[in-house]
Amino acid sequence: MTPRQGEMRELYPQPGEAYRYRIAEGEEGLIFGLEGETPAGLESGITLEIESREAGEGLCRTEAGRTYAFAWVWVGAELHLWLDGGLYVFQRVEPATGRGRRGRAAAGEGSGDVLAPMPGAVLEVLVAEGDRVEINQTVMIMESMKMELVITASRSGVVKRVSVEPGQQVERGTRLLELGPEQDE
Amino acid sequence: MFSKVLVANRGEIAVRVGQTLRAMGIAPVAVYSEPDAGSPHVSMAAQSVALPGATAEETHLNIAAIVRAALDCGAEAIHPGYGFLSENPAFASACRDAGIAFIGPTAESMAALGDKLRAKDIAGRAGVASVPSSPECAPGDAAAAKFAERWGFPLMVKAAAGGGGRGMRLVNRRQDLDGDMELASREAQAAFGDGRVFLERYVAHPRHVEVQVLADGQGHTVHLGERECSIQRRHQKIIEETPSPALTPELRRRMGEAAVAVAREAGYVNAGTVEFLLDARAGEFYFLEMNARLQVEHPITEAVLGLDLVEWQVRIAAGERLTLGQDDVAPRGHAIECRIYAEDPYRDFVPSTGTLLRWRPPSGPGLRLDSGVVEGQEVSIYYDPMLAKLVAWGPTREASLARMEVALSEFLALGVITNIPLLRAVMQHSQFQRGEYDTGFLEWNPAVTRPAASGEARMMAQALAAWASAQSDGAVATQTSGTPAKAGIHRVSPWQSAGARRLP
Repeated sequence: MTPRQGEMRELYPQPGEAYRYRIAEGEEGLIFGLEGETPAGLESGITLEIESREAGEGLCRTEAGRTYAFAWVWVGAELHLWLDGGLYVFQRVEPATGRGRRGRAAAGEGSGDVLAPMPGAVLEVLVAEGDRVEINQTVMIMESMKMELVITASRSGVVKRVSVEPGQQVERGTRLLELGPEQDE
Repeated sequence: MFSKVLVANRGEIAVRVGQTLRAMGIAPVAVYSEPDAGSPHVSMAAQSVALPGATAEETHLNIAAIVRAALDCGAEAIHPGYGFLSENPAFASACRDAGIAFIGPTAESMAALGDKLRAKDIAGRAGVASVPSSPECAPGDAAAAKFAERWGFPLMVKAAAGGGGRGMRLVNRRQDLDGDMELASREAQAAFGDGRVFLERYVAHPRHVEVQVLADGQGHTVHLGERECSIQRRHQKIIEETPSPALTPELRRRMGEAAVAVAREAGYVNAGTVEFLLDARAGEFYFLEMNARLQVEHPITEAVLGLDLVEWQVRIAAGERLTLGQDDVAPRGHAIECRIYAEDPYRDFVPSTGTLLRWRPPSGPGLRLDSGVVEGQEVSIYYDPMLAKLVAWGPTREASLARMEVALSEFLALGVITNIPLLRAVMQHSQFQRGEYDTGFLEWNPAVTRPAASGEARMMAQALAAWASAQSDGAVATQTSGTPAKAGIHRVSPWQSAGARRLP
């Protein structure tokens, strides 16, 4: 059985809420319906004619008659979509497991995790477990692509755990250190 | 003329130099590191030599290994490209000692110009004003305190050996001075093996205009006009154009003459670039530095002059005379370059890595692409994140900007996040279109570094993503050539929320 509906979430450039789509047979072909969060200010939605003769590439026409080229690739579980010179990244939300329900960009947000903003090497760790840090205080120095990058604390608190050591290579999103609440809180 | 030349670089510049060499009937030799084994600069070369290792230090910064490679393959000359060893006097000397011609200036003038403090002295002797600066100083020095006292904050910390935006920091507050000097010094030590720093008066949002020079070492020095390089992020250029919209013919003549005077005073040979800070309102310019190499943005000069700078570099290094007189330099039309970087313009320009799963650059009238990557290539963390340079020429500034804007919209790159949307947003910006900008452009216009809020484009993207996802599931068939035209055409009708519109 092929699914006749699904759920997606935009990860880039503007992480958003998940939205559902459904597919139905229409007179002129398939009709896609979207529901969930859609950009504000568009009451009636849009109708697109999509034409794809090659895998991973196509043209779409708007009701106003404008034609845009688009292309897409899967990068692991992420769908990278190129449209009119722009890049959009989406993630499929799997109904069974709920995997992907939390967007990548939300990881660490609001929590005490300080994440590596880019892949590279840890040059220096300037704080130790138990240290009290202020928001925006420099806690680490990384190097990537010949540049030094100063890593600052996302909020004030106490260093609960330092997860990396100098010289270590890290990927983007790797947790560098964990901040706990301030002791007097 | 040489018959074999080793290109001591990688990426787009190694490809570009190799192309000129081949057009001149010279065999290009490539050197490469392990991660670059399948790169275009290797496959286009007549011969290639592997440099063991992956990091820049092990490979493209390894003087002994590169000179050895040149000797082993019988190359008579080395072209250093830009970056890496291109401005390293020890490399130029090592080439000379090994009997290999270095395609660039002498080690002596390179050493003098590579030291920003000595370069300022040279400019002074040539009668060209520099931005006020302190002598070399360390954190806590009396000289540093005195300079800060005299000029106040903000001010710049610069590495004497710095370049390309590295080893350079803006200091806003007195209490940050020592720390920032320390950081700049360490960054310079790591990048250039020389941690000396000095302080410089901060010129708020000047324009950055540079002048290309060519000198043959036999008494002929000409300038090839200017390049405006004020659109920068993190002190690094991303968009350059020529002619500069800020120069009057009078200012252009004065800056050209100043550039030639500096080059002569430095005893400069080969292609070089004199960089100036321009206060356009006051009509004043200050010497910043002289880059003793080919610049990344040299193609725009080539586009308006119809000449090949690398060819001139090779001819001069082979001892030929510069037959180009100052009166022969007559620019035609306007050219603009955009640097395509693997980086996220919406998240502080952090470099992005990955595999270039789709890579289809645009082509068309007036376009030139200098690229060092191919589809399927891995973009690694080992080197600079620049993927390619796109140049658009047009009979007028308006025409070249319009060509660039269209070309960027057609530039298909997937798998790695690039800065293409930002470049396009700059092309569409009215201030940029009027030519009214300075190095603070991205700061003044934060909207261009935020995703466009266009609801319709985003909704189209959401609809197409759903469609593509369904297609991957097999829920929607891809149209094949044998099926009727209507098949594969799908209507996508998003609606706002439940109740607004329902599926039949």
